Amino acid sequence: LQVFDEEGKDVTPHPLFHADPNTVVPRQGKRLASTVHLGATGSGSSSTSISNASTAESTSDETAEPGSRRDTTSLADVQVRREEIEEELTKEDLDRRVDIYLSETETLWILEMPPDVVSVESEAAGRVVERNKIYVDICKTRPGNDRFVEKTMQTINGAAKNKEVQCDRIIMEDKGVMVTSWDLSDSFYGLAIEPTSKAEGGRATSGKSSKSRTAKEHEQTSIHSAYHCSTTSSPVISDSAALARTHEEEQCPSEAILRSENFQQHLFFMERILMENIFQPKLAAYRQFPVLIDPDVTSDTSGTAAAVKEAEQEEHDRGKKEEQKEAFTDPSILSDLNKTPEETVPPRLEWLWSYRCDLTNGHSVSSMAWSKVNPDLLAVGYGAFDFKEQKKGLACCWSLKNPMWPERIFRCEHGVTALDFSTSSPNLLAVGTYDGSVAIYDVRSCKDAALLASSESSNKHTGPVWQLRWVEQDRGATGDSKKERLICISADGQVTEWLIQKRLDCPDLVKIKRTESEKKKLPGEKGRKCEVLISQQAAGMCFDFHPKDTNCYLVGTEEGHIHKCSCSCSEQFLETYRGHKGPVYKVTWNPFSTDTFLSCSADWSVILWYQDSQRPILTFTSTSAFVHDITWSPKSAFVFAAANESRVEIWDLSVNIFNPVTSCLASPRGKFTSVLFAKNTDCLLAGDGEGGVSVFEVQNLPAPNSNEVRCTR
Amino acid sequence: QAEVEETLRRIQGHRGVIGTIVINAEGIPIRTTFDNSTAVQYAGLLHELTMKARSAVRALDPENDLTFLRIRSKKHEIMVAAGNISIKITIELYVL
Repeated sequence: LQVFDEEGKDVTPHPLFHADPNTVVPRQGKRLASTVHLGATGSGSSSTSISNASTAESTSDETAEPGSRRDTTSLADVQVRREEIEEELTKEDLDRRVDIYLSETETLWILEMPPDVVSVESEAAGRVVERNKIYVDICKTRPGNDRFVEKTMQTINGAAKNKEVQCDRIIMEDKGVMVTSWDLSDSFYGLAIEPTSKAEGGRATSGKSSKSRTAKEHEQTSIHSAYHCSTTSSPVISDSAALARTHEEEQCPSEAILRSENFQQHLFFMERILMENIFQPKLAAYRQFPVLIDPDVTSDTSGTAAAVKEAEQEEHDRGKKEEQKEAFTDPSILSDLNKTPEETVPPRLEWLWSYRCDLTNGHSVSSMAWSKVNPDLLAVGYGAFDFKEQKKGLACCWSLKNPMWPERIFRCEHGVTALDFSTSSPNLLAVGTYDGSVAIYDVRSCKDAALLASSESSNKHTGPVWQLRWVEQDRGATGDSKKERLICISADGQVTEWLIQKRLDCPDLVKIKRTESEKKKLPGEKGRKCEVLISQQAAGMCFDFHPKDTNCYLVGTEEGHIHKCSCSCSEQFLETYRGHKGPVYKVTWNPFSTDTFLSCSADWSVILWYQDSQRPILTFTSTSAFVHDITWSPKSAFVFAAANESRVEIWDLSVNIFNPVTSCLASPRGKFTSVLFAKNTDCLLAGDGEGGVSVFEVQNLPAPNSNEVRCTR
Repeated sequence: QAEVEETLRRIQGHRGVIGTIVINAEGIPIRTTFDNSTAVQYAGLLHELTMKARSAVRALDPENDLTFLRIRSKKHEIMVAAGNISIKITIELYVL
């Protein structure tokens, strides 16, 4: 190691240790050779006794081989040694065979301590023994001898001095932590999951050290940092997110909390639970839990529960035992449920609750549809039927868990007249409006925009879409997979099928193209002749596909005729049923006995038909009011519900064909516009003209005994 | 952000709900419909209780976490939605 000052003088500090040059030389030699490789201009050696003569040393190979080192045979002067090493090494030298001689150096005396004992056999032994004896004799004569004088000595006692030192007071702090198992696991998993992001997050926090973070309790910090880390996906994002979050938190912590998504979710839960509190007995009745009044009776809710989805319902039921005093409704009515339905107790409709909110007040309910996968999700379309009452329409999705505010709100330009959920992609909701356009919404998103809309399409309907449905049909030719089609009927007389070109993954609005293959012209009829086909198009009001044979369907028209058509034959009708004198508002096949169907119309009547006969089989008239909607019960082949203007009626054909078995009056101003049965429970939903959807529980309706068809002749 | 306000308003507007409090992580109420002293009192007491409840839940299973806490008393029911950075408390009166 060489150190040079400005003039090139070697000012390498001498080492403190001066070893014997003879022994050290071999090592030095090697070091000399190796330090030359840099080709320094002046270089000395760091050898101790050698002065730094700056001789130009030749550049030798860095890896000075041992072969270049001369042996140390003699105690030659180190100068000589150096000269030898200064020889230029050439390539041949490297290959040259070198002889190395090893020899022993002189013995070096490092320490010599002569011993105090001598061997008995050595020549000095005699003298030593003799001297030892003399000494022993002298020691014997010591006590009374004159030659020995006693003398005392005293060592000096140095003066002692006390020195005191006092240190600064050491401030001690007690810090205690309650270690819990989750605290440990948090730290452990927080480190394991995202070690880098934790480091980044830690850096960020230490850099900013917002007060809200440092002021946390110790138990909180580890949770928070672990939570913080585990919510980030990559270190880069976490860094910026951590910075952003800490920065934000520094500015206004409360705002951040209110804005955070977490808070939103908590609000959501809170609202749901509040709803549950308020509506709990009604919901329990909806779910058909038995309502117990006697607190001593242990509840057995599992037996009668139709579909127990939420665990809170059960726990509520148990809790209900304790809070009898705070019952929301009169328990005596609900105690009827405890009795098994007997023929003596007449069926009745019990109003449970109503889906209504400020937003929907004033809109008239035009259609309702259950979601196909979630039997508690209901889509309701709001729009007026009359031309005069048109306003902006609304489609809402209501959930059972929150009867006071809809989960999704989709606003439409025109009144909504029809809607339906898709079966194959259950998140799609198709909505038909008064201006003839069809829009498809994705209920997964909360945005108000339609996923696809047909408003720009050139082939759209020119009249209001009165009904639309997703129908699963076998395509026959294109394989055996059932594909779903969106079919709708409108007042311009066309039954059309909409094709969706691009699948709904793309968020842009895509035009829905419509096939022309199914355009139907519904000829109206003048007079009562059967065989004349007029080219005038009649307005179609409703349709229904046959539950078993998806090729054939019924169409109800504005003139009161019902036509049976087939998908394969688009020119002619298979059958025409005449019986109604007013527009047919709804036609439905009986889901159990698939040869009969029901139709309702504005001529105050509901007619039951048999598909082979062109004359009505039975006519039901109860009041002088339009019948807006009918629907078969999903449980029984004989029960159906009808929405007259002022009442909702339930008819049971096995009991009475002249009168409805039960009915429920609306409020004096209101009118019922649509009905829907609930699939998983005995409830009936009725939408009215004020924008509310009332949920009624149907009690004491006799269960169907058999599934056989009874032809009512 | 507007949705949050809207939902909050709806909850507060329910009949039977006496009031709501939103508490940040330190136990200080940041938004409340009560007067200050009541809010601070509720916040202090319920914050501690929520921490204890969360500790209990997590001690039983570290991967679990507390989401909701309800305290029913004779007169009221207190509902606490517990989160990591904020807590929301609603106090509801039983409606007869």
